[in-house]
Amino acid sequence: MVQKKESSEKLAALFGLKIGNISAQLEETGREFFCADNKLMDDDEIADLSGEFVNLISGLLNSKDPLKRTSPQFHALEIFFSGLTQRMLMRGGNVEDVVRYAQQLQYSLISALEGDSGITFTQSRSVLLYFAQLFDELIMAVFRIYLNERENMLKAQEAELRETSTPITEIWDGVLTLPIIGTLDSSRTMLVMEALLSRIAKDHARAVVMDLTGVKNIDSQVSHHLIQMVRAVQLMGSDAIITGIHPEIARALVSLNIDLSGVTTRASLSDGLKEAFSRMGIQVSHKAS
Amino acid sequence: MAIPGLHLTRIGKGNYLLEPLRSMNIRDKGLLMQEIVSHVQQGQGTHLYYDLNGLPIIDQVYYDWLDKLARTCLAVNIKMICINMQPTAAFTLSSFLTRKPVFETALGIPD
Repeated sequence: MVQKKESSEKLAALFGLKIGNISAQLEETGREFFCADNKLMDDDEIADLSGEFVNLISGLLNSKDPLKRTSPQFHALEIFFSGLTQRMLMRGGNVEDVVRYAQQLQYSLISALEGDSGITFTQSRSVLLYFAQLFDELIMAVFRIYLNERENMLKAQEAELRETSTPITEIWDGVLTLPIIGTLDSSRTMLVMEALLSRIAKDHARAVVMDLTGVKNIDSQVSHHLIQMVRAVQLMGSDAIITGIHPEIARALVSLNIDLSGVTTRASLSDGLKEAFSRMGIQVSHKAS
Repeated sequence: MAIPGLHLTRIGKGNYLLEPLRSMNIRDKGLLMQEIVSHVQQGQGTHLYYDLNGLPIIDQVYYDWLDKLARTCLAVNIKMICINMQPTAAFTLSSFLTRKPVFETALGIPD
């Protein structure tokens, strides 16, 4: 009982501290992690960072309920660490540096507070536990941001890859080509269809040559999407020509009972282009010597 | 003669352009088809261009209307061509169509 009282008194003493003058000590920690070899921040930024952290932690310790995880002061600290993580990741730093910085910040803070108050916090479990819990939560915030950033980056890369793997090119006035490379899945087919139909409307394309030379596999759902794509192109008033169907794909289409009767197919992209040109009344020939 | 809910304009020898308005009521399709076909026939039209420009979606009900109108036109030797179909409309229509539509499609009115 006496010990519990002593612990809470130490916590109360901690919460009553004015810690505005310890930012200089925390700056050292920041320099160690972000100014050493990686040069992620300059001295001014470190000073701002330490000053902001001291203000936030001081606000939390002096708040109505410093133990409350849902308080605005605690939330502000979380945002501080989220922002720091985002900034470091954008500058090419890694999440480990931020986590180690947070841990080191905790030790520096305890040591600085001890020196400032004259109370030996290291002997007080309640104070150490408080800081451990507080910083665990902040480190969790760091990881949350890290994972979000990674996920966003992966999504952006995926979108970029999709865009580059289905380039729609106007190879001639009113003739679009769409070489499809890789595996066609339903979501990709939908994206390709959306992009293609918008392009037809925009360019008033009269013929579309879809080249499947780079497609190795096709399943039932995708083949239906492919036929749907051809039908949609025809409905818009353009001619759809499919080229480069591998024998395996042809076999798969037949075994899946896909009706290709209304679809124009040609062996190669060049044959497909010739067909498109001939439908448009264009004749491409060698220059007479 | 004006038909309520649409504009029907002669655009050259034998060609008619049908521009549906928002007020067009396709529930009363029987009468509407009769009026359109009769108007085109009186003008000795052979081609009816149906402008789908302002139509973002074509559902089953609207497709049935287009299908019936095209069949009626075919019965009196008028070819119906749907023009300016929007990408979203083409997408929705292609998702439930099981066979080639009776009407033809084109990007616009040919030069």
